[in-house]
Amino acid sequence: MAASRRRFVTQKVVFAALTVFAVVTFNFFLFRVLPGDPAVGGMRDPRLSPERVEALRERFGVDDPVFLNFEDGNPFESQYFAYLGALSNGDLGTSYAFRDQQVTTLLGQSLVNTLWLIVPAQMISIVLGVGLGLLAAYKRGTRVDVAALTFSLIMWSLPTFFLGIILLFVGTTWLDLSAAGRVTIGAQYTEIWDQIGDIVSHMILPTATLSLVLLGEYMLIMRSSLVEVLGEDYILTARAEGIPRRQILRRHAFRNAMLPIVTLIALNLGFTVSGAIQVETVFSWPGLGHLTVDAVNQRDFPVLQGAFLLLALSVILANLVVELIYGYLDPRVKGA
Amino acid sequence: MNRRALALLLSAVMVLSACAAEPDTEGTTTTNSETDGTTGTTGTTGTTDTTAPPVDATGGTARIAWGGSPDSLNPGNGVLAEAYTLYELMYDTPIGLDLDGNYVPELATDWSVSDDGLTWTLNLVDNAVFHDGTPLTSEDVKFSMELWRDTEDFPFLPSYPDVFTIEAPDETTVVLTTEEPIGNFESRLVFMYIVPKHIWEGESDPVAFDNAEMIGTGSFTLAEHSQGEFVRLEANADYWAGRPNVDEVIFQTIENPDARVTALRNGDVDMITELPNTAIPTLESDANVEVISGDPLAPSLTDVFFNIVPEELCPPEDGVCSGHPALKDLEVRKALAHAIDKQQLIDVALLGLGTPGISLTPTGLGDFFNSSLEDYAFDLEMAAGILEDAGYVDSDGDGVRECLADQDCEDLTFRFNYPNDSDSAPRETELISGWWSEIGVATTVQPLDPDTLTSVCCPTFDFDVIRWGWGSDPDPGFLLGAALCSEIDSGFSETGYCNEDYDALYDAQAVETDVEARRDMIWEMQEILLRDLPYIIPYYDQAVQAYRADTFTGWQTGASKLALEDPSSLNVISPAG
Repeated sequence: MAASRRRFVTQKVVFAALTVFAVVTFNFFLFRVLPGDPAVGGMRDPRLSPERVEALRERFGVDDPVFLNFEDGNPFESQYFAYLGALSNGDLGTSYAFRDQQVTTLLGQSLVNTLWLIVPAQMISIVLGVGLGLLAAYKRGTRVDVAALTFSLIMWSLPTFFLGIILLFVGTTWLDLSAAGRVTIGAQYTEIWDQIGDIVSHMILPTATLSLVLLGEYMLIMRSSLVEVLGEDYILTARAEGIPRRQILRRHAFRNAMLPIVTLIALNLGFTVSGAIQVETVFSWPGLGHLTVDAVNQRDFPVLQGAFLLLALSVILANLVVELIYGYLDPRVKGA
Repeated sequence: MNRRALALLLSAVMVLSACAAEPDTEGTTTTNSETDGTTGTTGTTGTTDTTAPPVDATGGTARIAWGGSPDSLNPGNGVLAEAYTLYELMYDTPIGLDLDGNYVPELATDWSVSDDGLTWTLNLVDNAVFHDGTPLTSEDVKFSMELWRDTEDFPFLPSYPDVFTIEAPDETTVVLTTEEPIGNFESRLVFMYIVPKHIWEGESDPVAFDNAEMIGTGSFTLAEHSQGEFVRLEANADYWAGRPNVDEVIFQTIENPDARVTALRNGDVDMITELPNTAIPTLESDANVEVISGDPLAPSLTDVFFNIVPEELCPPEDGVCSGHPALKDLEVRKALAHAIDKQQLIDVALLGLGTPGISLTPTGLGDFFNSSLEDYAFDLEMAAGILEDAGYVDSDGDGVRECLADQDCEDLTFRFNYPNDSDSAPRETELISGWWSEIGVATTVQPLDPDTLTSVCCPTFDFDVIRWGWGSDPDPGFLLGAALCSEIDSGFSETGYCNEDYDALYDAQAVETDVEARRDMIWEMQEILLRDLPYIIPYYDQAVQAYRADTFTGWQTGASKLALEDPSSLNVISPAG
């Protein structure tokens, strides 16, 4: 039993590591297929003379061969192997657009800001989404169910930026909330509560936007999953035995119905790292999605590679964790 | 249902922070009154008028929202306008450029040139002190200018001091020598930010230096910076030319234009450096907000240019040179010029915020703009007549005129491209195509991303007509260089235009130290460009900014150029009394 468990885990981890390597390689070449010169980065200025561009290309190393060096000496003196070499030392390089900034520094700051936004939003939407889904399934067919279902469908299909702009307008016009940023910059707080209050007043709108968008999906999955489980024979048996409905729900149905939700949550945790981009844009939140979009526009390869690596890692890790957790939640998975 | 769920969610958010709900409102009030500076306390009752602060009150925090954020604190690395705004506040340059386009003394009290035009002597102020307390000397000026000159990986700055040999004979004198006389001496010094030698000389790779403290001699010091989020500056109390009135200036990045406008209306910020033209009516209706427009600090233009590269000058390495043959005929270009209504273009596509353009020298360049030129009048009938007279007739009745017999083309159908990162370009090209179609000229319009546009443009010359634009240097020389024969291979020339007379004038103005004589040559070059029409310049951009009149006074709005984030405003604004 223990041996098969260990083999299962090792297998999953090795597969995840291989996926990371594939992603690293794919991303490296993907960005270089984009037209345009990172030394120019979309700039159009007479001062950026051909000599300047040449000097910058040399600095960035983008004048080297991309994959294999066929011209002189060592075939591995190329951008790709230089990148792999640096990466194995944990060095993500220096940004092209921010020429005096390390990619790790830029990514680190942005990731913290993004987590600051998505962790509360995810928590709220999971709790409310699952709760609403439970309620709807429990009161299936009633007006409560129809209302919850309609609300969730609307939230799920509403474009994020649109909801964001609406909330921005409502929040700043009538609720006197802050329109942008994470805190009031340069504010002097006399008490810790002032500071918390300031942070909260800045967080309400972006968090609400993101929560509402995520909530719909959780609710819909939870509801349909629970409805399906409640239709199973063993639930019928339990009811026939005279077990109270609440107890059936809690003891027999809920745990099984949570399986798809766990998958979804894990996948979302990975994706929301990048998926908060629209919310970040509307509320001027200096997060990871924001950094990535700017980097695409400026052909900032090192930042792009770093950001995509981070995203890939978070998705792969989340998947790995889910697969391992599944083993506990659903004993059938263990042997497979 | 919807609203109830929203309220439920909002209260859930509040619950998360439990008892934070009450301090939340308190916190907001605290910061609001701080935004108002000293006004918050006196403004509440009418009887405190006697204790009102004097007109040039000091103190307060000026909050400014902008759409971008500085890309580097290192003046050599900076590319974006926001970065240059910071350099102007934190550093001084030998010579300044005021908002009316005049060169004015800054660190240099005066400067003079030798009779042969090769040696320039600058006398420096003797009381400038870096933020860390070290006095500025001519050695710092020499060091800085050589740093910008010799670090070839800096994108912009090396192109200014490249002609100079720099000497510092004594502490307050700098001598610059050139091999040839230069006509644009002052403009080469306006971006020469003087950095402290004792801090920078230890940096082996100045490009990798993040300059996180920004020690300069400017009127503000850097207090706090968060990449992509905000920059907080404090007034330099020891500024050699007199300290600013405000205590602090905060630049906050608010990328979403609507949120920026809202922040100004709500009083979260005191000034916004840019706003969408569509927001102007709303802001103008707000009694506390003033909206101003003017030439931008960095003048820029929108151009429509033609591929007219002569076959024999097609760049040997990169050239495709697939331009439409009829565009090489000046009569065709004249007709096209007569068929653009620049004012209507500005009114429709820019909601009125632009100045009709005429040449490669924008109005924001002051006297260098040739104000005597007369543009091709908008006259569709005349335009059609020109084509008719030149032999371009629609013989098959499909609405498009046919090419001449000796031209290698069928009819006047042009490819028309524009960059997809411009908001107004789709509307502009639509209007222009509409007018052109009325004179029997067809276009196939296609937006391209800027990199793809570059790859079809220059030096490949694989296009017919492109609508694009340029940002201009304070000196007209840079942009006028785009029409030189010698720039065809480099890709700087986007038209392939080549005219020996024009080139001769360009070379002459570059070494002309007499301001009047140089200006005449630059005027003549603009005239030649208008006559030969490699370019049609639909308009010069205008900047729009807005500020709150009830928080600070003294914003500099009277000059021809508009830049409320410039030291010229931030050094003098004071809390409203």
